[in-house]
Amino acid sequence: MGNRINFVLVVLLLGGFALAQVDVRLWHMEQPPHRVDRVQELIDAFNAANPDIEVVQEVQNWGDVIPKALSAVRARVQPDILFAIPDFTLTMKATGAVQPVTELANNLHQQHGFLDAAIDPYSYQDEVWAVPLYGMVQSLWYRKDVLAEAGIEPPTTWEELLAAAEALTTEDRYGIGIPGSKSLYADQVIYNFMITAGAKTIFNDDGSIRFDTPETVRAFQYYHDLFQFSPPDSVSWIWGDAEAAFASGRVPMIIQFTTITTFDQQTEDLPANLGVVPIPAPAELGERGNIYYSNGAMVLTGDPAKKAAAEKFLAYLLEPDNYGRFLNMEPALFLPVTADGQEAESFWNDPLVVEYEDQVRTMVDNSAYGALFGFTTGQVFDGIGPISAQNLLSQVVQRVLVDGDSPEDAVTWGQAQMEAATR
Amino acid sequence: MRARNPLRSAGSWVLLLLIVVLVFAPFYWIGSSSFKTPPDVIKYPPSLFPPTWTLQNFQKLFASTDYPSYLTSSLFIALATTLITVTLATLAAYAIYRLEFPGRLTILRLMVGTYVFPSILLLIPLFQVMVQLGLINSLWSLVVANVTFTAPFSVWLMRAFLESIPLELEEAAAIDGAGFFQTLGLVILPLLRPGLATIAIYTFITVWTEFPFASQFIIDDAKRPLPVGLAAIIGQYQIDWGLLAAGAVFMALPVVILFAFVGRYFVEGLTTGALKE
Repeated sequence: MGNRINFVLVVLLLGGFALAQVDVRLWHMEQPPHRVDRVQELIDAFNAANPDIEVVQEVQNWGDVIPKALSAVRARVQPDILFAIPDFTLTMKATGAVQPVTELANNLHQQHGFLDAAIDPYSYQDEVWAVPLYGMVQSLWYRKDVLAEAGIEPPTTWEELLAAAEALTTEDRYGIGIPGSKSLYADQVIYNFMITAGAKTIFNDDGSIRFDTPETVRAFQYYHDLFQFSPPDSVSWIWGDAEAAFASGRVPMIIQFTTITTFDQQTEDLPANLGVVPIPAPAELGERGNIYYSNGAMVLTGDPAKKAAAEKFLAYLLEPDNYGRFLNMEPALFLPVTADGQEAESFWNDPLVVEYEDQVRTMVDNSAYGALFGFTTGQVFDGIGPISAQNLLSQVVQRVLVDGDSPEDAVTWGQAQMEAATR
Repeated sequence: MRARNPLRSAGSWVLLLLIVVLVFAPFYWIGSSSFKTPPDVIKYPPSLFPPTWTLQNFQKLFASTDYPSYLTSSLFIALATTLITVTLATLAAYAIYRLEFPGRLTILRLMVGTYVFPSILLLIPLFQVMVQLGLINSLWSLVVANVTFTAPFSVWLMRAFLESIPLELEEAAAIDGAGFFQTLGLVILPLLRPGLATIAIYTFITVWTEFPFASQFIIDDAKRPLPVGLAAIIGQYQIDWGLLAAGAVFMALPVVILFAFVGRYFVEGLTTGALKE
């Protein structure tokens, strides 16, 4: 009798363990419906393969996720996984809720090989604070037929780009579209020119600001010169405006993460007419470089079971068989952050990627030259948070383009603003 | 009888036409863009009429979003908030502007003072309050939050309407033996109908377009109201302008229908009998 009771207890206990399910709440900001559907497909497959884990996605939007996430942490209802970019990780880390994922990141690096541009912005203070998931890189996009008609080769240097923009400007067309707005888009585009001018690092090793340099001034002077061939309304552009201007033929060159989807869906042009090259650099420097956003995932739960489940899910996403499907929730925009991801068949077999393979390969190549302001030296300073949040780079752009300040004065002003913001 | 000045009359018509164009041009632009094909919608220079009419933006809107559930959420939040605001604001306004009690002006100033705070400043504290109340991810969280912003302004709006009702009417009702609630219900409220309609419409439209609280307090996609639900169709880096226009049309359409057809009877019904011949 006693043995039978013991047997029943053991069965119940084991059954209980088998049924104990770990719930993982995932917040991400990829809210267009087709992206949500693709993430759900991957979650469903993961949940089916791991009956002891239930991952649930809760979709947020980039516009207000920062206050929402901060509120959630303060109210102790934060998600277990939260997608991020490097600045956001820094903001969330200050709450104390972000768990280091160093061991997981090291293991994943050994298995898949993270790109430096992807992992470096999350690696500081001897830990890794988020697992890189997808990259975004800016390039110079152009219409091949328009350049060919004008007898212009795709520009590779600043001098060629300026000459091309001038030559392509006609009565009913502007040579290039670059933003002059106070926006993240303008922050990003000017930073491309800062990188290629040799001014990508804005912090000294001691955390002080080193923005007011001859290289930075040169980048802003060049931006000013180039902007005279950009449409007047580009002083208020964000990404969508640039894409619309490019797709409509109003401008034949823009600097953007991608134009492939818009070009494919909103124009009647053939894929072969879409050109893309790395961001041009000054001829005598030749430093190839471009802005690169490494999008990652933070783990915000301290509960060991949830943390283990969250890490298992993140590792699952980076498996080459799954990874391409994850990236292609927005094909030809989100790029692999791992070496084996760059080769993954699941990435290259998406119909849109197949159609625009040449362009996507250029984007992938550019990933290796990526940098992000405030995350270039291996040392990360909290001051980058307010500098990004206040769009100080594009405020300097506006002083040059709209207020008529000289690049020297505007950059000096920018240095003072950055020092004030980081105090 | 003075002859009408034809120049002045023509000037009035031109001015009226200008105002009509200014008011309706954005609606026309959104409406016509929603019927354009993707290449036409971004064509430069833009065309006034769709060169090729299409319904593909609307088909995409309904295929890619859960519009019916967003609409249901929006209607619930807007109607519940309107009902509560109208009730609270009417009672509060009557008490403040008609009854004598110490500190009533201070209370009024405090209430109006709450209106000067941008709602965005209260997001984080309100989020925590809603968590403690267990209202996060509940539509009631939005009703509660919205009422706190619409009610004070509505109380202030009611002032002019209440002051237009002579005190003598209440005194006459009192002489006839009417109690407080009878006076309020049978004498004051019927005369307040234009005011009630005003704050009802103000509240409904304010809540219909409210975004920050809705974005913060609701987590499930199925419970999202229209502004937040439809915001999802705008990618951060890529914008499908035709789809965006179709979303804007279907965001505004319920309100337009409500106030073009139902709203007219609503306002007429409320204002009937407000003035004596």
